[in-house]
Amino acid sequence: MGATKVVEIPVTLEIPIGPQHPALHEPLMLKVYADGEEVVKVDVNTGYNHRGIEKLCERNSFYRNIFICGRVCGICNTVHANCYVRAVEYLMDIDPPRRAKYLRVLAMELERIHSHMLINAIMAEILGFDTLFMYIMRDREKVMKAKEILTGNRVLADYMMVGGVRRDIDEVKRDRLLKILDTVEREAKRYMRVFETDDTITKRLIDVGVIKPSQITRYGLLGPTARGSNIKIDARMGDRYDAYDEVPFNVVVRKEMDSWARMMVRWEETLESITICKYALEHLPSDGPAVPDERRLPRKFPPGESFARVEAPRGELTYYVSSVGKQIPYRVKIRTPSFNNIINSSFSYIGYSIADVPVILTSYDPCISCMERAVVIDTERGVRKSVSLRQLAMGEI
Amino acid sequence: MGGPAILKEVLQRFFSKPVTIQYPFEHVEVEKDLRGRHYTDLNKCIGCGLCALECPADAIKMEKLPEDKKPKRNPRGLYPVIDYGLCVFCYRCVTVCPVNAFIVTNYYHLASPKKPDSRDLTLKTLSGEGGGGM
Repeated sequence: MGATKVVEIPVTLEIPIGPQHPALHEPLMLKVYADGEEVVKVDVNTGYNHRGIEKLCERNSFYRNIFICGRVCGICNTVHANCYVRAVEYLMDIDPPRRAKYLRVLAMELERIHSHMLINAIMAEILGFDTLFMYIMRDREKVMKAKEILTGNRVLADYMMVGGVRRDIDEVKRDRLLKILDTVEREAKRYMRVFETDDTITKRLIDVGVIKPSQITRYGLLGPTARGSNIKIDARMGDRYDAYDEVPFNVVVRKEMDSWARMMVRWEETLESITICKYALEHLPSDGPAVPDERRLPRKFPPGESFARVEAPRGELTYYVSSVGKQIPYRVKIRTPSFNNIINSSFSYIGYSIADVPVILTSYDPCISCMERAVVIDTERGVRKSVSLRQLAMGEI
Repeated sequence: MGGPAILKEVLQRFFSKPVTIQYPFEHVEVEKDLRGRHYTDLNKCIGCGLCALECPADAIKMEKLPEDKKPKRNPRGLYPVIDYGLCVFCYRCVTVCPVNAFIVTNYYHLASPKKPDSRDLTLKTLSGEGGGGM
């Protein structure tokens, strides 16, 4: 009995990119299968950064959770805290004064500016353009200073509180912020021109990682990734939460659909955010105290559930908070934009060369600490399996 | 499509002062109201323990006051000790304190060979020596 059939497998190369890799700033593993230089398949492996924050929220009080939710992600801490705080406010039926809403918008837009500047700087670094990386990071520091003036800390703002914000600003701080925003606007315009014209950047980014609008909707991609492929999706425009119903702004979209378009969407949004910040500072209403007395906030939480969404720098972020009338929430569910953008992104690498993989990944603006979610591990048998959300919901694990 | 667009700036930067701050040899200028090291003023603290309950990082522990320290308004004889290694500097304790007993500073040089906490700073406040930090 000899063999009747021989299966010949063509030579493919399996390259692990990550979890520790110079091109990645956070632990994520891309298993890249390459046929020569061409990528034929990519597996996205996650789970290196899971911290169990949702479970932690179920064991801490509603007010303590504001600070825990702010620490899901360092870069977008204000939007996380804002989304959670608004979910709790909907639950408790509290409406903060307009001044607090304007200050919230200001803090969130400052965060968007520095987040977009960061990812553009990292893109420059990954392309090997370290000079530009250093220059953008130098000017990003000005935005961090603006955030320090407004909130009291460079990165982790802890600015949101149920019923308002935790710090108010005076005329002196307002003028300083406006001055910083003017400088940053000038610099951002200059860097945007560099991204438009410099050969080092355009040759590596244009026509790399093209995502069609139909693929965006099929895989549920969000944020600047979707807007770079001419899909006009923006939770700020959709929900008009906080002061976005009064602040005028445009949703930036581009038609090029490639990595370059996604980076340019970020630069244009940076300029748009600076305009929003200036508008908020110049039209700051004074209708009531923006800072609530935290000692007099209600301590009773009615049973019920609420849902809030916010446009984080990376896309739409949603929080679901469920209360059963106790001091602690029954459930806090977080759905971050990177969860959609990175886990579903493996189709977009296929057909490009290995050197393009970090470029395409960076153009998604991955935030790994945001996206780490449930993996089921059977500890008795040591088996690891993936389950669908439907199975998880039905308890079939 | 053009050439290296930032070449002019690169050449200019050869002759300007470096932007990098050589910490710890030079210090970063921070805002006056930066959330830095904070500790309790024992003259005001009533030992209620609300700060320890509300701390999201569980960095505050209520401890017994030493025998020789007898503040006027502290019936339980407890005072909060902040572990700066655990503290996330959200200042929730400062804002929930019913008697505004916290002294706030913008001091941020907290690297130390021993475990940094607020015990010494807090105990100094009672004898009128005042806490360091600024």
